[in-house]
Amino acid sequence: MAQDTPKKSKAGANKSSTSSSSHLNVELTIDKVFMKYRRSESGPVWWGVFLAVCALTAATRFYNVGEPKHVVWDETHFGKFGSWYINRTFFFDVHPPLGKMLIGAFGYMTGYDGTFPFVKPGDSYDGVHYLGMRVCCTTLGACLVPFAFIIVWQMTQSLPAATLASSLILFDVGLLTLTQYILLDPILLFFIMGSVLGAVMFHAQKHRPFHPVWWGWLVFTGFMLSGSVSTKFVGLFVVLYVGLHTIASLWELYGDLSNPLSLVGKHFLARAVGLILLPVILYCVYFYIHLTILCKSGNGDGFYSSAFQSQLEGNSLYNASMPFELAYGAEVTLKNARTGGGYLHSHIHLYPEGVGARQQQITTYSHKDFNNKWLVKKWNEEPGDWEDDDPTELVKNGDLIRLEHVPTGRNLHSHREPSPVTRRHHQITGYGENGEGDVNDVWRVEVVGGEEEEVVKTVIHKLRFVHYLVGCALMSHNKQLPKWGYEQMEVTCNPNVHDPNNLWNIEDNVFPNLPNSSFEIYAPNFLEKFLESHTVMFQGNSGLKPKEGEITSQPWQWPINFKGQWFSAIDGFKVYLLGNPIIWWGNLVVLAAFVFVYVYQAYRRQRGVSDDRQTKERRERTMSACGWLVLAWALHYLPFYAMGRILYFHHYFPALLFSSMLTGVIIDYLLESLPSLVPQYLASSVYPALTGLFYSTLIYSFYLFAPLAYGMHNLDPTFENSTVHQIRWLDSWEF
Amino acid sequence: MDAAAGVRNRKNKVASQKTDKKQQHGEKETEEHSDTLIKKSIEQLKHLDEKINRDSGDGESAPDTPPPETAPDDASTASTDSSTPKKDTSSPKPQKKSKMGASTAMAKAPPPPLELSLRLDGMSITLFLLSFVTRVWKLDNPKGIVFDELHYGKYAGLYMQNTFFFDSQPPLGKQLIALAAYLAGFDGSFKFDRIGTPYDPLVPVSAMRVVPAFFGSLLMPTIYNIMVELGLSHYAGALAAFLAIFDNAMLAQSRYILMEGILMFFGLFGLLCILKLRRFYHQPYSLPWFCCLIVGAISLGACVCVRYFGIFTLLLGVGIMARDFWEMVGDRKVTERQLFGHFLTRAAIFTIIPITIYISTFYVHLSLLYKAGPNDNIMTSAFQASLEGGLASIISNQPVTVVHGSQVTLRHTHGRTCWLHSHDALYPVKYQDGRGSSHQQQVTCYSYKDVNNWWIVKKPDIEELVVTEPQEPIKNGDIIQLVHGLTSRALNAHDVAAAVSPHNQEVAAYIDYNVSMPAQSDWRVELLNPEHTDGYWHAVESQVRLIHLNSSQALKFSGRQLPDWGFRQHEIVTDKIIDQEDTIWNVEEHRYTRSDDKKEREKEILRSEMIPMERKNLTFWSKLYELQYKMLFNNQENVAGHMYASEPLDWLTLKRGVAYWISANSNAQVHFIGNIVIWLSGTLALVSYAGLFIVYLLRRQRACYDLSEGAWNKFCTIGEVFGIGFAVHYFPYFLVDRTLFLHHYMPAYLFKLCLLAAMVEHGHDLLAGYLKAPRLAKIYLGGVGVWLASILSKTKTLEQVRCWVLGPQPSQVIEQEAVLRHETRLISHHLLV
Repeated sequence: MAQDTPKKSKAGANKSSTSSSSHLNVELTIDKVFMKYRRSESGPVWWGVFLAVCALTAATRFYNVGEPKHVVWDETHFGKFGSWYINRTFFFDVHPPLGKMLIGAFGYMTGYDGTFPFVKPGDSYDGVHYLGMRVCCTTLGACLVPFAFIIVWQMTQSLPAATLASSLILFDVGLLTLTQYILLDPILLFFIMGSVLGAVMFHAQKHRPFHPVWWGWLVFTGFMLSGSVSTKFVGLFVVLYVGLHTIASLWELYGDLSNPLSLVGKHFLARAVGLILLPVILYCVYFYIHLTILCKSGNGDGFYSSAFQSQLEGNSLYNASMPFELAYGAEVTLKNARTGGGYLHSHIHLYPEGVGARQQQITTYSHKDFNNKWLVKKWNEEPGDWEDDDPTELVKNGDLIRLEHVPTGRNLHSHREPSPVTRRHHQITGYGENGEGDVNDVWRVEVVGGEEEEVVKTVIHKLRFVHYLVGCALMSHNKQLPKWGYEQMEVTCNPNVHDPNNLWNIEDNVFPNLPNSSFEIYAPNFLEKFLESHTVMFQGNSGLKPKEGEITSQPWQWPINFKGQWFSAIDGFKVYLLGNPIIWWGNLVVLAAFVFVYVYQAYRRQRGVSDDRQTKERRERTMSACGWLVLAWALHYLPFYAMGRILYFHHYFPALLFSSMLTGVIIDYLLESLPSLVPQYLASSVYPALTGLFYSTLIYSFYLFAPLAYGMHNLDPTFENSTVHQIRWLDSWEF
Repeated sequence: MDAAAGVRNRKNKVASQKTDKKQQHGEKETEEHSDTLIKKSIEQLKHLDEKINRDSGDGESAPDTPPPETAPDDASTASTDSSTPKKDTSSPKPQKKSKMGASTAMAKAPPPPLELSLRLDGMSITLFLLSFVTRVWKLDNPKGIVFDELHYGKYAGLYMQNTFFFDSQPPLGKQLIALAAYLAGFDGSFKFDRIGTPYDPLVPVSAMRVVPAFFGSLLMPTIYNIMVELGLSHYAGALAAFLAIFDNAMLAQSRYILMEGILMFFGLFGLLCILKLRRFYHQPYSLPWFCCLIVGAISLGACVCVRYFGIFTLLLGVGIMARDFWEMVGDRKVTERQLFGHFLTRAAIFTIIPITIYISTFYVHLSLLYKAGPNDNIMTSAFQASLEGGLASIISNQPVTVVHGSQVTLRHTHGRTCWLHSHDALYPVKYQDGRGSSHQQQVTCYSYKDVNNWWIVKKPDIEELVVTEPQEPIKNGDIIQLVHGLTSRALNAHDVAAAVSPHNQEVAAYIDYNVSMPAQSDWRVELLNPEHTDGYWHAVESQVRLIHLNSSQALKFSGRQLPDWGFRQHEIVTDKIIDQEDTIWNVEEHRYTRSDDKKEREKEILRSEMIPMERKNLTFWSKLYELQYKMLFNNQENVAGHMYASEPLDWLTLKRGVAYWISANSNAQVHFIGNIVIWLSGTLALVSYAGLFIVYLLRRQRACYDLSEGAWNKFCTIGEVFGIGFAVHYFPYFLVDRTLFLHHYMPAYLFKLCLLAAMVEHGHDLLAGYLKAPRLAKIYLGGVGVWLASILSKTKTLEQVRCWVLGPQPSQVIEQEAVLRHETRLISHHLLV
């Protein structure tokens, strides 16, 4: 395993090349190389260190990448999504599509056929080509280390700082675990780091504006930004970061009075094109690809409007063969017409005591289900059988009808009781037996904008169901019922008849005695589909609230590495996501140290204390690099405190990257400052000694905690020689 | 910020070059004694130059604004123009050491002994009187409960009766109202049951309402003085106060028993004190300096004690002070030692005083409320026991030490209030998801007192379920069994997945504990605080964990509800993570079993009766700790979808008001809604400030200085106080999960109002000063006059709705209705525009 620091390995290589020379000579050469490394002067040394870091990264990331040979944690979701892309089956997810699409593409390229069901974590991959997807994800994850190296190098121009920062990322067990599997996180982290890399490199080109290389990095940044937003919406934080970075540099250009305003305008426009326009276009392109690839009906259909569904192969609305008109006796499903509305649904459970009348629950439900079926009846007669030769009677605008829930035989019913969540609306229940109810079951159908006596039509007509006695209208919105209602959405009778949430449309319409017709003409265009997908996504995202009694991860727990996350709990191969505590806690200490140093420097400046030029320059470069890194860390961490949605430990990892880079920069700064503070005879040895100590601690801690990532074969607590007790430093760690 | 500072800095450099000569000239005169106004102003200039000159030494330091020596004195009355500042003790004395300066100043003009100098600020008094008159006029109308008077009136009544209540906001405001009610002789017997109920003649409505009215009126001179303190003209100050007086929302909020008037006064008065501190920059540690600091701390502390949201005002105040301190750091005449002293003094005053106030309000709160009341259930058993007639009634003469044969109820100590419960119903054989259960008797956590909450403590080796002689007390670490009182089944846990939390073990009551089964019903008693009770298990006081012996898991309240078959009671499980709050229990009710006969025992349990008794003592600190914990972390039931709830975004445009009171027999109503003209102008001012700021900043970055340095600094200061003040009082509401109402916006609105007045003045300054168009400036003033008139006209009509609605004649009622309708239409019209 990783035995050598980059520094040492290079020194070692040097040693072998000069093995013939005398001992003194060797030492001199090592010293020389080391000084070159420390002063960041020589190109070959830079490349040597960089390649060594890359080699170590590859070694740690790809070691045992195929293990475990079963589904790990969220691979069950993302692997499934990948399969669906390969099978072109439509699905619904709260994240934008790029990450999942990439997983699908990786699988497709490496020969995965999309047949594995990914049912639950722990399912064995027997004979499945899963390795390709893992390797691709790991490759993206491995890029983080060299990216960090280059970013820190560009920010500080210090080779030791770059090495320190990248090794902190390299030896973090948590990042290793998170970037080794088929997950969105390696992809997301790759794009986030890529964006920062792009921004930094672009900034470094400021001496040659509008040069092709300048343009290259601008476009690269835009591309990476689009990638991070299109993988998960948290990618927006990095957009904000790059935006602030850009504004700062523009402000500088603008303040330089030797630049004419037209030049500043040009600069501004170029950035607007590269960092705003290009990502937006790419984002739309990804969605276009997403919507084009997924053309077959799948389990996500129900979240979308009937018109949207009519585009999906295999959906009952695709090339629909349904009666165009609604007749008495038809079995229908009713969909709330607002974007993201569900199906009118009932099930054989009653409202609990204290919540209105104890009658059967009526909800809306986004999935297609047998319980969504309703039978349309006249207000005063039961319908005949379909085989009967009775003349077919059509439902017209303004007719009085009843709706019977097909599986339970209860009628849609309302009365003057408060609704469970929205107390000022009336409750909707299922009432009666086998279709026999009372007068409160009668509803008047109104076609929005329809003529009198106009026949009610499937899909295209927006309908309003007005309760005959109370005069309120059937409504649904996205407020969830509590646990007793299975967190389905509430249905109420709204006294305000003209509320836009009161509209419904008929989606399925089964009535054999009427001719079927096609619904092809209602196909929405790309823009409509794009907007609808977003509404549905945001609604899904805001619905991800912690359930009652469920313990969610709190943001304050993350930086202190309070609690990890089981990735694989199968005996014999346990993987537990947990950061390397040395690195994580060290990051916190350094962050506090930074605040202290920053305040101290600001105080000195305010008091007007001046230093010699070299010290000042070095300090300023370090402080500005640190300032930007702290900003990035804060942008990726603090907003989580304001989020109401359910949170997980792994949300901290983007912030961790910046925190680790900050640690690298600060440690380098302190190491360089220390020799001037200690007695003369120690000064020359303090730097190498501390560097050595730093790397050896890092590597030893990695060695200790690596089993968490590589699979704890020997860590079963019941074993005699288990090392689990040694490394379980906090009681909250669950392994 | 950095960029802005840089900009200012650059300007300073330019200025310093110009004035370098003057500075050298001025230094010679340092020793000269100067009394005349002219000499003073020269010195003042010189002093400024010194500051500026120092800045040119290195490019780093960036003093944002010079200390406000030039701020006009508020002693000048309304009639005097702001441009003639009178000099008094606050004028700067340029000395090498500021401390010395203060002392020499004293020596120069020793105050005659026993001299009393009285200065009246006519403007402030006028504003106060005007405001007070509008606020107290017809104060007892309407004679019914208006909106949140429901709560605050009720709390005042409970204070009168010394009955404990639980509210998630701190008590100072309620105490002030209760004090007024007490002085007016209220006995607290009136039931505040719902909005609109007419008051009993015995309720001193006016006395209670006069408290918010008084504070709401004091607010106006405070606003005026803050504006003046920030270097704005007296006219602008008066304008801000005028807007606040004639805003309907302000009026409604300070006429009834509501907290906002008090909250806003304390907050703004604290800010005023902190701003005044700038005036005494050169006389640190003098009496007025200390007064400002301490009064500011008291006032801001009180603000937090009225409502937790006041913490943002406190933070704003501390922020302003920190900013001023930072400027002092840049002043190299102040030594590091002095800086450190200043820092310590301020930090000490601003931590000790608010905390003391906060704790003392709670001390008053807890010592006044010593009787049990309606929402005790939230508190722990120990807390309830400390209330007279509360839990004390139950645990009165109950034995303390839990022994073999004790009958106990076990309460879930933290979080949801419920008791360990079992009843004659079994777990279903199969759950809906296909898993099987033990099919044994259910054990749940039940939120109500019930005979089925009784359990009998039994030692495994003793058979008789009766207290033995000698008693067998249970110690920490003892093994016990718990037998359900009515069904005589023992609590057990086993390796079966629990009903709702399958990752935990199921807990059940086993049918017949006498049958020799492997002992799964043994539990180890683990006391959390054995040192208080010498290791014995005491009722109420001991917090206990029950550890299942076979599986080493702890009995836990899982927080989830069982489905219908479990009567929606809460699930009980065992969990291998022992150290968590949900595994903590305590004995609440406790008595010894006297009879071994099962029938007799059951009868006894069914007969359980409560007798009131004396209270048990709990120290103030532990009570405070618990109350705090509950107030901050207890998520109160959210009144979701209240009819008049509104969103923060709606507040900017005054989308909807709140009907505070609607008459039962006429169309009269009190409607809480702002003056639409002021409201929209305020939002406009906010936008224009932000826009102008960006424009100025952009111009300055290109070295175009439109405003003079003084005007620019004033413009920045306005933003620092009012703009940031608005932001910190407004944006946090976007993160709040509770139901929000328009009145939550009031503090932020106040800052917006001040900004509006400041912007009006800035507009005039721009026209008169920068554009040099006196005629335009006159027209502008005329426009302002028209605008004020429109404000007044809006106020008047709405005032009619609010105050004159109560006329008894039917004709008048109809007229009022017409006015109301008209007004509603007007408002909606405005919104459409």
